[in-house]
Amino acid sequence: MAAITATALEKSFGTIAAVRRIDLSIEPGEIFGLIGPDGAGKTSTFQMLAGVMEPTSGEAAIFGRAPRDARAVTGYLTQAFSLYPDLTVDENISYTAALRRVPPATTADRASRYLSRFGLASFTSRLAGQLSGGMKQKLALACALVAGPRVLLLDEPTTGVDPVSRREFWSVLAELVADGLTIVVATPDLAEAERCHRIALMHLGEIKETGTPSEIRAGLGARRLELRTPNLSEAEARLSPVSSDGALLDVQRVGDRIDVLVRDGREGRRLVESTMHAASLPITELHEEEPLLENAFVATLRRLGHEAAEPSWPFQHARPTPAGDVALAAHALTKRFESFTAVRDVTMSVRYGEVYGLIGANGAGKTTLIKMLCGLVAPSEGRVELAGSHEGIRSSAVRQRIGYMSQRFSLYDELTVAENLDFFAGVYGVPAEERPPKRRWVLEFAGLEGRSDQLTGSLPGGWKQRVAFGAAIVHEPSVLFLDEPTSGVDPLARRSFWHLINRLADAGTAILVTTHYLEEAEQCHRLGFLVAGDLVVEDTPTGMRRRQPGARSLEDVFIAVVTARDHQAAGTEALA
Amino acid sequence: MSRIIAQARKELTQLVRDRRALVLALAVPVAQLFIMTSGISLSVNDLPIVVQDLDRSAASERLVDAFRSSITFHVVSWPDARQPEEALMAGAARAALVIPEHLGRDLARGRATPVQLLVDGSDANTAQLVSGYAQQVTRAYDSAEHGGGAGQVLAAVRLWFNPGRSSTRFYGPGIFVLVLSIFPALLASLAMSRETGQKTILQVYVSNISAHEFLLGKIAAFVVVAIAEGLLLAVVLRADFGVSLAGEPTAFLAGTALYLFCVVTFGTLIGAAIPEQAAAMQVVALFGYLLVFLLGGLIFPIENIPIPLRWVSNAVWGRYYIEIVRDAFLRGGGWAAVWPQIAAIAGIGGVFYTLAWSRLRRMQLAV
Repeated sequence: MAAITATALEKSFGTIAAVRRIDLSIEPGEIFGLIGPDGAGKTSTFQMLAGVMEPTSGEAAIFGRAPRDARAVTGYLTQAFSLYPDLTVDENISYTAALRRVPPATTADRASRYLSRFGLASFTSRLAGQLSGGMKQKLALACALVAGPRVLLLDEPTTGVDPVSRREFWSVLAELVADGLTIVVATPDLAEAERCHRIALMHLGEIKETGTPSEIRAGLGARRLELRTPNLSEAEARLSPVSSDGALLDVQRVGDRIDVLVRDGREGRRLVESTMHAASLPITELHEEEPLLENAFVATLRRLGHEAAEPSWPFQHARPTPAGDVALAAHALTKRFESFTAVRDVTMSVRYGEVYGLIGANGAGKTTLIKMLCGLVAPSEGRVELAGSHEGIRSSAVRQRIGYMSQRFSLYDELTVAENLDFFAGVYGVPAEERPPKRRWVLEFAGLEGRSDQLTGSLPGGWKQRVAFGAAIVHEPSVLFLDEPTSGVDPLARRSFWHLINRLADAGTAILVTTHYLEEAEQCHRLGFLVAGDLVVEDTPTGMRRRQPGARSLEDVFIAVVTARDHQAAGTEALA
Repeated sequence: MSRIIAQARKELTQLVRDRRALVLALAVPVAQLFIMTSGISLSVNDLPIVVQDLDRSAASERLVDAFRSSITFHVVSWPDARQPEEALMAGAARAALVIPEHLGRDLARGRATPVQLLVDGSDANTAQLVSGYAQQVTRAYDSAEHGGGAGQVLAAVRLWFNPGRSSTRFYGPGIFVLVLSIFPALLASLAMSRETGQKTILQVYVSNISAHEFLLGKIAAFVVVAIAEGLLLAVVLRADFGVSLAGEPTAFLAGTALYLFCVVTFGTLIGAAIPEQAAAMQVVALFGYLLVFLLGGLIFPIENIPIPLRWVSNAVWGRYYIEIVRDAFLRGGGWAAVWPQIAAIAGIGGVFYTLAWSRLRRMQLAV
């Protein structure tokens, strides 16, 4: 018998369909991934499977029983973790256990087992609100496990959790499944999807494809070529027309390389080589790889007729500074908060025309560093250079040249899209005659043509993010700060985001991206890994990979760097 | 039962952890009791009064002395050259007494003589009291002058229950009711709306705890807190204001327990309906003050409330408890006097509980 089934399961909120007639059949002992961007309907699906929300129509079953009647065997980890921040670790567990009528002796037994397995055994009397993201996640998992469930529903369990904790979490999941548990996990992260036994790709409430990750990749019927060359934008421009006549399936710039999807490896290679040769562009490296899940997801969406617009940006102003000059620099920056050093002696620079990725876990000091770089916080030691100024980096002339967009960037929810755009254009002093073409551009980029009168608050996350991005660049800043710009958006939108970011860089904009998503790191031209306030290593994505022999992904490299650092810190502590 | 206890224990632990909530639970109510009992007072002391004595006889001096020696008035000097109205305009006095010429002579001849009293009527209630007190003072003076002459009828008024007409004795219990109507409800609504706001409610929904167990656990926890609050207030009332129970206490205790259940359930209901903590707090505070303070007979007698609103006041839970508490602290009538009020509170509490339960009955997300 299947552990979990869904038949034509559907959920609508008023006129909005969140989940559209999905079918699922998940076997016992499986890790099943529900993969999709924000707003794909993952959470609604989970709430129906957990028995906390009635479907509009269709049916779901957990071991043959209605989800509501099967709650005793279901563990549900919500996105917010649903912990009580003002209760201790122990109190959270015993409360959840008491709700589920677990006998106290069993609770104590299981709690001690899971807490020691998760490395929380010495924190039992700490308040849940004072735990780190990774620890909260493990505590929430322990709470879900204490009732001895047969099915675990994990809704984006690793969002906001650093890569090291994330990896640990997945190894725990593997153990639990080995014990016979069935796990359904939702994630927007395609790298995590690779760790699932089977996945379903979800988009706008529908399941587009189901299968093992390798089946899905194989279903694409394509090979991926990684091309490295000094002049990426020129190479992309040359290869793209070839791709549109069907010989190359897809051409995409990814950080310091170009990915080319081809039907056949050898033929594709030849075609790429001849095109590059014809344009007398040198090839540093060209080799064949497995396609990524992202390639498959994008291909599926395209096959179904989805496409994200990539309108050309109506640039009005030439760049005053040549590409290659330093746009933004930190010289031996340190920031201390009382006894705590958030950023220690960081020296780095971002040039015009460069996309620099500052990568670090939550709490590594990224935000403090950014705040110093844009002048919001004064450094304890060191110097900042911003858009050619050392002094007065908060002056309005300097600020006029800066753009900032965060994942939680505040558009005004109660204004319409057009009003928001007008407001930001007004704040940044964009001349009135430039506003209409720019507004049209943002609407096209966000896929919101003709919907400019819609209230911003009613837009799904991915759309809002694109409007926010548009609002951040209406004044054509020459230095752009982006905080997790593409987390949670669908793969098509992500592509158009990065396409645009690269175009802005080509036009001479200096771009600093901060993120803990290694998928985003992949897209940067140069990376800096920030660990506990230290800038540990700087390199190109390709260079980073080479530093760590045997590393398959940037995540492997990052984890190796962090682990080495921890050992070093532990060693210093032991000496002291 | 074990789940109800688990739920209640969790609520109490959270409350103890949350400093602000604890202050809201214990310190603020006592502070409010102090401020309101000493701040609200309908008796009038030390009102500034201007006296213009145009007669300047021995008799007029005695009249001025009569005013001077009353605790109600405090005689302010005012130059004869200036009009007494100006004193009222300038806010220097709330009333002005003008003694005409020949007062002493007319009194000696046994002729009735009017004296003029000008009262600042901008505060109607105080004005009423001022004129009353002034008449008493002059009457007292009158009888002193004539040695209580024959034919004069003196109304012999005796006040029961509150012989000193101490407003503390009247208001203390009222404030006690007001505080107990608001703070337990606030705490309960905060705890409930936080559960929805922080999405921890999902954790509750995925377990199969029933709506009754969940509600009763929460309500029990805050009734315990409210009882602690009530005891604290009762101690303060007794220690500082000398207000204590008169008579047999079981009716009062039963009424109090039911009332606290009713109030906490009201808070829980609002918290369940409004997931934003700030908004839930606003609604609870608004209802608490508006209904209990204005329509509960705490300040204004229910008989003075216009008809349609008086009907509303029949549904105001605080109204019945005010009667129970006044009875317990001032009259001591016990069960025989207040059983209808106790029944009314039980009824209203039952309605709140049913509403809260029907909201949570399915233990599922709405829509």
